[in-house]
Amino acid sequence: MNVNLPRTTGAVALIAALTMTGCSVANSGNSGGGAAGGTLRIVLPQEPPTLEPCEASLTATGVVTRSNITEPLLERNPTSGELEPKLATAWTQTEPTLWTFTLRPGVTFSDGAQFTSADAVAAIERTANNTTLACNVQGYVFGQTGKLTLAAPDATTVTVRTEAPDPLLPLRVSFIEMTKRDISTTEKVREPIGTGPYKIASWAAGQKLTLTAWDGYWGTKPAYPTAEYQWREEGTVRAAMVVNGEADLATNLGADDGAGDTAVQYPNNETTALRFTTDQAPLNDIRVRQAIDMLIDREGIITSLFGGLGKPASQLIGPGVVGYNESMTPTTYDPAAAKALVDAAKADGVPVGTQFRIIGRTAQFPKIAESIELMQSAFAQAGLNAKIEMMDTSAQLKYQLRPFVPDAGPVALMVMHGNQAGDAAFTVGQYFATDGAQSTGGNAELDAKIKAAAPLTGDERQAAYADVFKTQTDAVRGFAYLANMEAVLALSKSVDYRPDAATGDEMRLGDMKPKA
Amino acid sequence: MLTFLRRRALTSLVPLLAVVLGVFVLARLTGNPASLYLPENATAEAREQFSAANGFDKPIWSQLLDYLAGVTRLDFGTSLRTGEDAATMALRAFPATLQLAVVTMILACAVAVGVGCWAALKPNGLGDRISGMLSMTAASVPDFWLAILGIWVFAIMLGVLPTSGVDAGGASWVLPIAVLMVRPAGVLTQVVRGAMISALGSPYVKVARAKGAGEGRVVARHALKNAAPPALTVAGDLAVGLINGAVVVETIFGWPGIGKLMIDAILQRDFAVLQAAVALTAISIFVLNIAIDIGYALLDARVRNKSGATA
Repeated sequence: MNVNLPRTTGAVALIAALTMTGCSVANSGNSGGGAAGGTLRIVLPQEPPTLEPCEASLTATGVVTRSNITEPLLERNPTSGELEPKLATAWTQTEPTLWTFTLRPGVTFSDGAQFTSADAVAAIERTANNTTLACNVQGYVFGQTGKLTLAAPDATTVTVRTEAPDPLLPLRVSFIEMTKRDISTTEKVREPIGTGPYKIASWAAGQKLTLTAWDGYWGTKPAYPTAEYQWREEGTVRAAMVVNGEADLATNLGADDGAGDTAVQYPNNETTALRFTTDQAPLNDIRVRQAIDMLIDREGIITSLFGGLGKPASQLIGPGVVGYNESMTPTTYDPAAAKALVDAAKADGVPVGTQFRIIGRTAQFPKIAESIELMQSAFAQAGLNAKIEMMDTSAQLKYQLRPFVPDAGPVALMVMHGNQAGDAAFTVGQYFATDGAQSTGGNAELDAKIKAAAPLTGDERQAAYADVFKTQTDAVRGFAYLANMEAVLALSKSVDYRPDAATGDEMRLGDMKPKA
Repeated sequence: MLTFLRRRALTSLVPLLAVVLGVFVLARLTGNPASLYLPENATAEAREQFSAANGFDKPIWSQLLDYLAGVTRLDFGTSLRTGEDAATMALRAFPATLQLAVVTMILACAVAVGVGCWAALKPNGLGDRISGMLSMTAASVPDFWLAILGIWVFAIMLGVLPTSGVDAGGASWVLPIAVLMVRPAGVLTQVVRGAMISALGSPYVKVARAKGAGEGRVVARHALKNAAPPALTVAGDLAVGLINGAVVVETIFGWPGIGKLMIDAILQRDFAVLQAAVALTAISIFVLNIAIDIGYALLDARVRNKSGATA
């Protein structure tokens, strides 16, 4: 064969070059460290899409940004539920519709600029009032408040006027991360400058994010000068990285991901439930919904599938959230009683054999598919006809959020709701009100109770929301609750850290330190 | 040869265009990204604003025309997720995949040629039967299972390799390449074995042996050269599969390549990045196919001559 020499040489050179560059992957770089070396290495299930502070209520963003890069004026203690000072030292309701915040003096941003009331006003304005930016926090926390009117009477005072009295305003403000006054108000900022203990050192997209502590931080200097975030989709790989000493902390693990004795268990504020479309047969008959509720073997699922992580749920929020109804208990697993209810409905002409769909989101929580399969099997034994459809996030959200998929037919949608704010107001309006963004049921009585509870405070507020949860279950039964979930993270033996209910959304590096 | 290449390039453009257009349409059938990028209780007005700002409110044919107009200017759009230029993101991820694919294929070919030739020397012997069983198994083992097993054995139990990532230098390459090369090595071994058995039984090999050529020379110079074209074709297809299908391995090992970028883009409904990544992958497969054709023509004079004759 007569082979052209220059071509052959070129091909060989190409292969050689590619092979030799095999020693380094694009964007890669060696890093030593480890917790003992001053670098805390954290592995997460997904890369933050952005570190934009106004998107901090997105789990993937908030877990990196909140209280690490940027900070709020005040924050909710995840254990006590109380609001505590952060960049504000005090806040008072000076008029029914006016709140005054006093800022901490001597706080600087990581670029050296002074943090003043002008920055706080700009950050609140940008997050709460700016509909063009469409921040997650804007819709989630401030969607129902109306426009806020802000002022900065002096360098350390901020006033916020609401359209109506709002006892939750400080809690809402705790969702806003403080940014500089010159931050863009028309575009989201991927790598912000904040007042937190860390600043962004480098972000190799798709591979690694590195934060470094900076000297001018107003609070306690963090124990680790550097923190590195990586992300791996597979829980087994995340766990293996900690077990193998390649990472110090891995989050979002399942009970059987292999974290071994590095596993640390903690409650995570999430509740799982089936949400019914209550206007489509056979789910339009409350007896059928009650039967489905009775056919869920909560204890069995938690024990056999969740590895004991979680507790049977009686309502859509967990203990510790304002409005949690202590008197409610999880529905008892009772296939015989459920069958009797289905038979009674059938005798009255309800087409109980009509197929309905159980829709779940793939990987929403560990063993979701197996949990749904177990439920489907129990439903079938009671004479119900359920078909399982697992979807990815985007497809599932079309069934979870308004506007819902038209002509979707009867659906039992698996949802997971986390109330990080600690107040039932952030749950009941969107899930239980007839016009709620995530509601497919409800009635006028429930709507009136939800509306009446909103302006209340203290014990009255607690009692009113507790009544809302009871009314929902007794009169509507739009949900069959599964579990108040618990989570697992893997933690290196060399790191001292105690996760809490907020860890899934806000993982403070300042709370982590090397073990002595 | 130039005419042959020109014709090959033109015929390859049709599937290339079909892939690019197919991805554009299929991506949009999965739904409006507003549900992922806006707050759960965002108003209908905010959703409309989002759709309008990103052009999702237009009819799909209008979006397609806008996209194609952009492509002619090498503008593949902007990532919804990061705000970065989509083509830049795809180009940044591509070398990681290409490096992995090239090293994997070189090693897979080396294993296949070695084992395939050895097995072909004594067909149906013990060595042939063992290698046949192993190569069949290798060709059918799922990547996902193999990757997790590899991590468990070599990273956790033995502690000799990193679980994932690219930080550990050369050691980072071992598991991804080992997992990726199993299937191509298995398939290629069977192809090489079959082709070599056929070549070793052909008259020209008998003539060479009769002339006193040593067994090594017979295998390397005579039989292997003639057994190479079918192996090259299969190797080409496998290489295409590697570039296109390293998705699972890249995702598990956190390898910052184009496969992982595509998965992220699909899950995040990041249409521009998905389209740019698919277009880049399709173009690279197109180029690879041309390269395979060149290799085939260089190895087989009939292909060269035929192509020249039909020019």
